Amino acid sequence: MLELHGQIEEAVGVIRSRWESQPHAGIILGTGLGSLVEQIEVQASFDYGEIPHFPQSTAISHAGRLLCGTLEGLPVVAMEGRMHMYEGYPLKQITLPVRVMKALGADLLVVSNACGGLNPDYQCGDIMVIDDQINLMGDNPLIGVNDDRLGPRFPDMCEPYDQRLVERALEVAGREGITAHKGVYVAVAGPNLETRAEYRFLRTIGADVVGMSTVPEVLVAVHSGMRSVGFSIITDMCLPDELTPADVSEIIAVANEAEPRLRTLVLGVLAGERTG
Amino acid sequence: MDGQLIDEAIDLVRSRWTAIPLVGIILGTGLGELVEDIEVEEIFEFDELPGFVPATVLGHRGRLVCGRLDGKPLVALDGRLHHYEGHDAGQITLGVHLFHRLGAGGLIVSNASGGVNPELAAGDLLVMESHINLMFLQVEDPSSSNLERAGRILADPYHRPWIEMALGVAFEKGFRATAGTYVAMTGPNYETRAEYRMVRRIGGDVVGMSTVPEVIVASRLGMKVLGLSAVTNVADPEATDGTTAGEVIEVARSLQPAMRAIVAAIVTDEAQADSS
Repeated sequence: MLELHGQIEEAVGVIRSRWESQPHAGIILGTGLGSLVEQIEVQASFDYGEIPHFPQSTAISHAGRLLCGTLEGLPVVAMEGRMHMYEGYPLKQITLPVRVMKALGADLLVVSNACGGLNPDYQCGDIMVIDDQINLMGDNPLIGVNDDRLGPRFPDMCEPYDQRLVERALEVAGREGITAHKGVYVAVAGPNLETRAEYRFLRTIGADVVGMSTVPEVLVAVHSGMRSVGFSIITDMCLPDELTPADVSEIIAVANEAEPRLRTLVLGVLAGERTG
Repeated sequence: MDGQLIDEAIDLVRSRWTAIPLVGIILGTGLGELVEDIEVEEIFEFDELPGFVPATVLGHRGRLVCGRLDGKPLVALDGRLHHYEGHDAGQITLGVHLFHRLGAGGLIVSNASGGVNPELAAGDLLVMESHINLMFLQVEDPSSSNLERAGRILADPYHRPWIEMALGVAFEKGFRATAGTYVAMTGPNYETRAEYRMVRRIGGDVVGMSTVPEVIVASRLGMKVLGLSAVTNVADPEATDGTTAGEVIEVARSLQPAMRAIVAAIVTDEAQADSS
């Protein structure tokens, strides 16, 4: 991890040449948050290829841009297009943007993802505010010689997601009449979807939803001393005894349908940040 | 790792120390003080031993100690390498291969762990009777084909008579001790509440970040294994209030007398078996 400090400085240098504000939050625009871009007042935009050590945009399916600007009056940096472990990226590279957000001054990470529902009380299209996580990816972005300038050797994980923000998100949901659960996200490497037996296993160990992202970024956010808040859209239900083949177009339709509700929750949480 | 490095390491050790050790000991977190009880005959710093790399973690020193306990020959690794430091399985288990090549018939390995079994308390000794490998680490290094291998890992790598002996000695000395299952995860972060619940549900009593690779290799080499785990904190997921590396080392130290007595009893027993 000793190489990271220099990489972060180089990336920050490029961003600082065109944007001088201190962001309050860093946002990873995962599934269901793409349209939030339209609400960001963009002051500077960088293709990932322009930022040293960021993954090249040619390799990823999404836009691959870092947006700097304001959202609801709050200075933010937002990643449009995220990298996944199953695409072959090392976790240190996937999480480098989080460290850059921190170095720019952000103390809050906002993440979203699409996931499969394991908890039978959930329904397709529901939103879950992430309360806690299980790392079953088989890897960890903090492996390597620790750089004490970036964070502690053994980060404590008793509260990876800021409980005040979890409560605030649930309050906003209650006020707006949005169904939102609070639960445990388990991350696996993928890219295959899980077998029935794996769904049973993941439910048995205490997970409410399963996905292939988010956990590395939040591990690094905790290591960096940032608060995190995370949202999952349940795009398909993974009940082992009622399993049907996953239909990608259906999953995308569910995510799109949930998008306005998720946006309301995120903006509600950020509004709370502005007023303190 | 390759066989040539270990040949060179053996040559170096043998040029200065000729005894046949009864056991090899890996001294984990906070247990390094056992070295003070050893009548030291030779010390090899990791940076002079071919293939060994210096440890990077608080509480781990990085040297091979050759000597005697109560007059019985043994070797000890004072300081161990962890997967979370970025070392591969070959590097982590090099010491076990070295012990085996020096003639040690047994491995005694110690570690610090977090208890998830609610009946455990900080300061307890857990004698490992089984483990669950959640490290996702490929322990069989393909490039190590020229190293000795003695067939498949045993289903039960921990030597039952040593488990009984360790428990007996601990009780005699007035320590709380129990046999149980150690779950290995990669770290370096401490586990989340959800991960502690998972570890408990799948049958773990304690969770840590080491030991399993070394045990697998020792078992494959036909060595008897004893695993001693110092329960340095009890990770009650409902009351987790954070873990610090300093506390962990402090609690592990309090078990020093029990560990020392157990090692002495086993070495004495092995010496008798040898001479009969």
